[in-house]
Amino acid sequence: MALNKRDKTEVWQGTLALMVLKTLDALGPMHGYGIARRIEQISEHLLSINHGTLYPVLLRLEQEGSIRSEWGASENNRKAKFYRITKSGKKELAVEEREWQRAHDIVGRFSALSKESV
Amino acid sequence: MNMKQLRRVWNRFRGLSSARRRNEDLIAELESHIQMQTEDNIRAGMPPAEAHRAAMIKFGSLEHTKEHCRDEGSLPFLETMIADIRYAGRSLRQSPGFTVVALLTLALAIGANTAIFSLVDQILLHPPGVSRPERIVVIRTNYDKLNLSFDVASPRTFADVRGHKEIFEHVAATRPVSFNYAGQDQPARLSAAAVSVEWFDVFGAKPERGRVFSIEEDKPGTNRVAVLAYGAWMRLFGGDPRVLGQTIELGEQPYRVVGVMGREFGEPKSVDLWVPLALSSEDIEGPRGRSENLSVFARRQATVSFSQADAWLRVAATQMLATVPPAARRYLIDAGWRLGGTAFADSNAGTNKTPLLILLAAVGLVLLIACANIGGLMVARTSARARELAVRAALGAARGRLLRQILTESLVLAIVGGTIGFLLARGGVELLLRLAPESAVAGLEAGEDITVLLFTVGASLAAAVFFGLVPAWQTSRVDPGAVIKSGGQTASMAAAQRLRSGLVVAESALALVLLVSAGQFLRSFTQLQRIDPGFEPRGVVTAAYALPQGVWTDPQKQAVFTRSVLERLLQAKGVTAAAIGRPIPFAGGYEGSAFFIEGRTVVSGEAVPQAERRWVTPDYVRTLGVRLERGRFLTDSDRTGTELVAVIDAKLARQYFPGEDPLGKRIRPTSGEGSYTIVGVVNHVVQSNLAADTDRGVYYNSLFQRPAPVGFILVKASGEPAVAVGAIHDAVQATDRNLPLYDIKTMESLLAESLSPRRFVMQLMAIFAVAALLLAALGLYGVVNYVVAQRKREIAIRVALGAERKGVLMLVVGQGLRLAGVGVAIGMVGAVVSGKLLESQLFQVNSFDSSTIAATAGVLLGAALVASYLPARRAVRVDPAVTLRYE
Repeated sequence: MALNKRDKTEVWQGTLALMVLKTLDALGPMHGYGIARRIEQISEHLLSINHGTLYPVLLRLEQEGSIRSEWGASENNRKAKFYRITKSGKKELAVEEREWQRAHDIVGRFSALSKESV
Repeated sequence: MNMKQLRRVWNRFRGLSSARRRNEDLIAELESHIQMQTEDNIRAGMPPAEAHRAAMIKFGSLEHTKEHCRDEGSLPFLETMIADIRYAGRSLRQSPGFTVVALLTLALAIGANTAIFSLVDQILLHPPGVSRPERIVVIRTNYDKLNLSFDVASPRTFADVRGHKEIFEHVAATRPVSFNYAGQDQPARLSAAAVSVEWFDVFGAKPERGRVFSIEEDKPGTNRVAVLAYGAWMRLFGGDPRVLGQTIELGEQPYRVVGVMGREFGEPKSVDLWVPLALSSEDIEGPRGRSENLSVFARRQATVSFSQADAWLRVAATQMLATVPPAARRYLIDAGWRLGGTAFADSNAGTNKTPLLILLAAVGLVLLIACANIGGLMVARTSARARELAVRAALGAARGRLLRQILTESLVLAIVGGTIGFLLARGGVELLLRLAPESAVAGLEAGEDITVLLFTVGASLAAAVFFGLVPAWQTSRVDPGAVIKSGGQTASMAAAQRLRSGLVVAESALALVLLVSAGQFLRSFTQLQRIDPGFEPRGVVTAAYALPQGVWTDPQKQAVFTRSVLERLLQAKGVTAAAIGRPIPFAGGYEGSAFFIEGRTVVSGEAVPQAERRWVTPDYVRTLGVRLERGRFLTDSDRTGTELVAVIDAKLARQYFPGEDPLGKRIRPTSGEGSYTIVGVVNHVVQSNLAADTDRGVYYNSLFQRPAPVGFILVKASGEPAVAVGAIHDAVQATDRNLPLYDIKTMESLLAESLSPRRFVMQLMAIFAVAALLLAALGLYGVVNYVVAQRKREIAIRVALGAERKGVLMLVVGQGLRLAGVGVAIGMVGAVVSGKLLESQLFQVNSFDSSTIAATAGVLLGAALVASYLPARRAVRVDPAVTLRYE
């Protein structure tokens, strides 16, 4: 069954949220543009996103209390909003990572199946 | 919902209030993002213009992101609603005339409905302080062949029913008692109820303090305990909790106070305290065990329905008959004796039930008219705004959004109107309690409860949906292009106008129904006031007394008291006549009597002769202005020891002595106290109900031949009633300084009180009818006014072409009158139907009362004339040159 548009967005948002949290956890406070660049770099440009899609995700994470934001100055002394992961965000990240790992393992096992082993 | 989601909803909710600041913040953030990307691009070697463009492409749709964030950032549904509410508030403020009229109409209609409903609720559905009232059954004794029915039963019946736990969870009996209480400066009369042990269980009532009676205390000899009603506790003891365990003196006997009842509970009505009934086995098994002098209440088991309980009582009654001695059994069978049940609410409301339901229906009609009126106003308003709505639709506003906006506007009106209405209702209930007959509303309070609140909310929401849907439905059919082209006048506008006319016709029809009903109540009330009760109440004051045990136990002493008081009264200034009687007309007492006529054999299967019986002193006829028709009245020489005599009234003479001379005949009451010789005939006196006199005559016996410790003093005096009251007080005080008097009233007020339920209904119906008339006239005025505005141009052309102003006036007024006329015609059909429904409540007024209908139709058409004339006059005053220039 095909996912409808809404579901697709939810899945994408969920994945992106995990990447945002991981990035902030690993690299410390960062502004939106920085997060977008990091995600592109880490995914080795396989994942090329419209940067705009990042902001609803940031807003949502902030509302859930996983991250916090603050206006500050960028490396070029430009005004920018910096995000940083919170304690509950870290907890959330651990949970999500475990889930992903599990999903990954399961899919991996199915991928390894060959006709003979059934 | 987990913590995370909860936090999110909370933050989104908070986002509602800071929407603007959040939005600015977001724009700044996105701008800085694009800037940073652009700078990076320039650093990578792009020309500035190209760098910015690339950054924009990389980012994707800015608008889409903003919108997405806006949706995530708050609750879009709520945000739209708030916007709609703000919009509604703004547009309502812009047309204050409409808003004020609509709000007032709604508030009054909802207020009146809520007020009436809260009375109906307290009387019929939820008597205060009683839990699950629908399960309470009052045991009723019927004498089918005598056409008598009472909510009373005998101690024997009570004892028989009490044992059947499979039908009734609790059964209890009560009998009114009253005590002289000397605990204060002024001797007071306390009304009390002697109740059996399960009384409070039947009603599910709990004491506020202390406890209720134990089984041990419901026995003779150990029953000197009392439970105070909350009101009496406050009044007599100032709410002092130390009264528990104290002993108070009631009727010169010591009673220990063991409890105080909750504030709400007051069954039977208006009692000050409860004492144990303490029936002895002699009271039940003995000869007096069969006299029907207890009110018996039972709470049925949850599994037993009312009709099952009622049927069980019928069957139980036939079994009880088998235990009755043969002679009495024959009497009971001949009289058609049987038991049945009355639902507590019905018994509680008594004869007020139908009037209350009528008022509820009438006030419901007023609400309907109000809704139609507001519907009309909304339609007019939407028509006037057709252009604005069309422009908005053309600019891309979804039809759903426009509908939602209009519905929001009606909801805002309904909620504001409902709130004002609820506040009005609180005042309204207090007013009703003051207007209403004492007997119907004793113990009721003007408090608000959840049912009433729900009713108000329901009424306002129903109104909102009703008058919101009409214009909403109308706008949904609007074709924006056509509206804008025609300057606001289209076919759908004409449809709206027809709809408004239809609403006005409906309003006039409903108003006529209410007017006719009010007219019928008014007429039947005037008819009632014209009825001759058979005595002259003017200048007569009454007061009740009860001699305590002890000094006054001896009947001879009681006679001495009676004579002494009467002698002193006759010497008092201004007093022209004085008597003592028991019971007296319109004071609520009842003493029925079945009797044999000596020399006649009672035919088996036929009921024994029935009458009402009065014990009076010789001056009774002179005091009340009763006419002696034949023979003599009782005299001072009819005393204990002399021949027992009776005076009958003309009704009894007609009934049992047709075509013969009753004088010298002897009647013998079935109670077995001997025979009374008839010595005179007086005219019939209506005893309790002017509208429906009983079919029984009255006979009078001398109070001096059988003195009693209780009675009513009747004094006829010239001048102010206060003179007579003073004389009564003086005469009684001179005889017994500690004897309290109670129920001091003028005879005229007793008569008026007997009519007060009808007066109450009549007054309220009149208020509702006037409100309906005003609303209908207002609705008509609105329609005609609108028509005039729409046809301004046409009228101007006519006048310019030489049409007479009078002709134009007639044209417009004629249109208004035609609508009202159609309404009146429909209303007449409605009045015929309502007349049939009201028949039982009318007195000597035909259910189709043509003169009332004609008169009220005239009133309605007159109001319609005024309502159409005012806008019509404005129409013809218009200077055609001015109108045509501006069009």
